[in-house]
Amino acid sequence: MNETQEPTPEPRRTSNGNGNGNAAHGGNGAVPHGLRPRGEGGLNLKPSGRLNAIPTEARGTAPVDSSAPIENAVFRCRDVNVFYGAKQALKGVSIDVAPRQVLAMIGPSGCGKSTFLRCLNRMNDTIPGARVTGSIVLDGRDIYDPERDAAQLRARIGMVFQKPNPFPKSIYDNVAYGPRIHKLTRSRAELDDVVCSSLTRAGLWDEVKDRLGSPGTGLSGGQQQRLCIARTIAIQPEVILMDEPCSALDPIATARIEDLIDELREQYAIVIVTHSMQQAARVSQRTAYFHLGELIEVGETDRVFTNPRHRLTEDYITGRFG
Amino acid sequence: MNRRAIRKALNLLALSLSGLATAIGLFFLGAILWTLIKNGVAGLSPKVFSAMTPPPGSSGGLLNALYGSIVMTLIAILIGGPVGMLAGTYLAEYGRTSRISAVIRFVNDVLLSAPSIIIGLFVYELLVVRMGHFSAIAGAVALAIIAIPVTVRTTEDMLNLVPQGMKDASTAMGAYHWRTITSVVYPAARSGIVTGLLLAIARISGETAPLLFTALNNQFWSTNLLAPMANLPVVIFQFALSPYPNWQQLAWTGALIITVSILILSVTARIVVSRLSPAGRR
Ligand SMILES: Nc1ncnc2c1ncn2[C@@H]1O[C@H](COP(=O)(O)OP(=O)(O)OP(=O)(O)O)[C@@H](O)[C@H]1O
Ligand SMILES: [Mg+2]
Repeated sequence: MNETQEPTPEPRRTSNGNGNGNAAHGGNGAVPHGLRPRGEGGLNLKPSGRLNAIPTEARGTAPVDSSAPIENAVFRCRDVNVFYGAKQALKGVSIDVAPRQVLAMIGPSGCGKSTFLRCLNRMNDTIPGARVTGSIVLDGRDIYDPERDAAQLRARIGMVFQKPNPFPKSIYDNVAYGPRIHKLTRSRAELDDVVCSSLTRAGLWDEVKDRLGSPGTGLSGGQQQRLCIARTIAIQPEVILMDEPCSALDPIATARIEDLIDELREQYAIVIVTHSMQQAARVSQRTAYFHLGELIEVGETDRVFTNPRHRLTEDYITGRFG
Repeated sequence: MNRRAIRKALNLLALSLSGLATAIGLFFLGAILWTLIKNGVAGLSPKVFSAMTPPPGSSGGLLNALYGSIVMTLIAILIGGPVGMLAGTYLAEYGRTSRISAVIRFVNDVLLSAPSIIIGLFVYELLVVRMGHFSAIAGAVALAIIAIPVTVRTTEDMLNLVPQGMKDASTAMGAYHWRTITSVVYPAARSGIVTGLLLAIARISGETAPLLFTALNNQFWSTNLLAPMANLPVVIFQFALSPYPNWQQLAWTGALIITVSILILSVTARIVVSRLSPAGRR
């Protein structure tokens, strides 16, 4: 596809500065799809070419945002497609993940946010029948390079799941799990330090310091989620992926995790999937909007929320659907 | 009103039918236990646990048979347990969707329900005929073959109960699959696997037919694994069919001992399930 070098500095008919391009967009949705914007549109027709639903501006799979290529990006994803069997769940997604920044991914249920997240640490490999094409480059090499060991790659990329999933081990052993399997520490004292500092950074130390030996599964949901975050940062990953980490938590626990994300951002690149627009607005610097497997728009969070360039984005964030 | 009356009547009918079925089942269970206790307890004495099986007419105990049963069961579970656990692990973790797994699962189910006498005959051909005589090790192998499908089944079921999210968490930390299995999946399924092993022991400790063809019996104390070895089920079988009252009495007592041991094992298994499982669990 066209975006392999950089997203075309767009002649896209994005709103001329005022947010009211939408009226025009609204009309546009009804325009027959033959009227695709010039040039690449023709080349762009995918075999799967679903010819409805997406207004013409989104036809190109390049992000609508022109600021997209990021200088020192951690991940560079180009034209990523994911198939589950014959079903295509992700269509030509190209996006960069910046260091020391939170990238929020929003979009209606089933639009492929989790699927995309799982591409970044090759967790899709574990799903029978899942297939990923395109390129995802981490420090100069494609992570799907057959030479590359998926486990070692995952050791550099932390993941926090929607449902807290502590191991059936003590709190200590939960956090020590990663350092132990990757032999990151040489002595028990060193391991103690890692466990302590990880729990501290996850904001859980004070609550559990007296019962490190009790099972991690005995904690409350919010504590478990922070334990999972502690477990993740204990392996000192370069990136942290979070898939709706707060959806099972109450507002107070959510606030704690959000504060934590804000702190972690100073050191890590974070990609977070969320269904809460407020959360995306609160914690992220960039926001990506997905729709039916396509990346519709990505840009500065403030910009996306105050001045979405795509009608689908606007519809979603104003709650008109999704 | 009318419909309500009909519903009530139907309900009553269903309730009494199922109550009756339960009562019948419980009655026979109770009758068996009662007969066992009544006839078995009479013969219980320290001598049962300290003397060898006697010749007809003189007094004796079951020590050699008890020892033989324990030894053969232990060897059987030492062989069958690991094999069954590894096979179950393969089915649940590595070959979940592969075609060969479907075949293995099918064969395992067949083996699970195969009459144990066939397994006795099989080991008879395999070991007894070749060695030229009956032996304890042949008995243990026959019991192991019975224990394997039970263990495969329970292990697979228990591993499948471990939440995918937990395995994913380990995978996402960069753990290799074997590491996830040994460090996360096994601990999470520990109580289930232990229960499976206990149930396998309970299952094989009462088997008679396979031992008739393999370990046979031995009137004397023997620890030689390559020689025939006494064991409770075969002793009970022979003594119960004999015309000698002292043998018949020992058969009753032996039956009581087996039943109580299996009962204890099963209860232990249940306690293990509820206690040993990690707090909070899935
Ligand atoms: N393991 C799978 N096998 C087959 N199809 C899948 C699988 N996982 C996801 N899909 C499909 O891929 C599409 C994208 O799913 P995905 O889970 O990525 O959506 P999502 O944006 O994370 O949704 P949600 O917000 O509900 O979590 C959906 O249509 C879904 O049905
Ligand atoms: Mg999801």
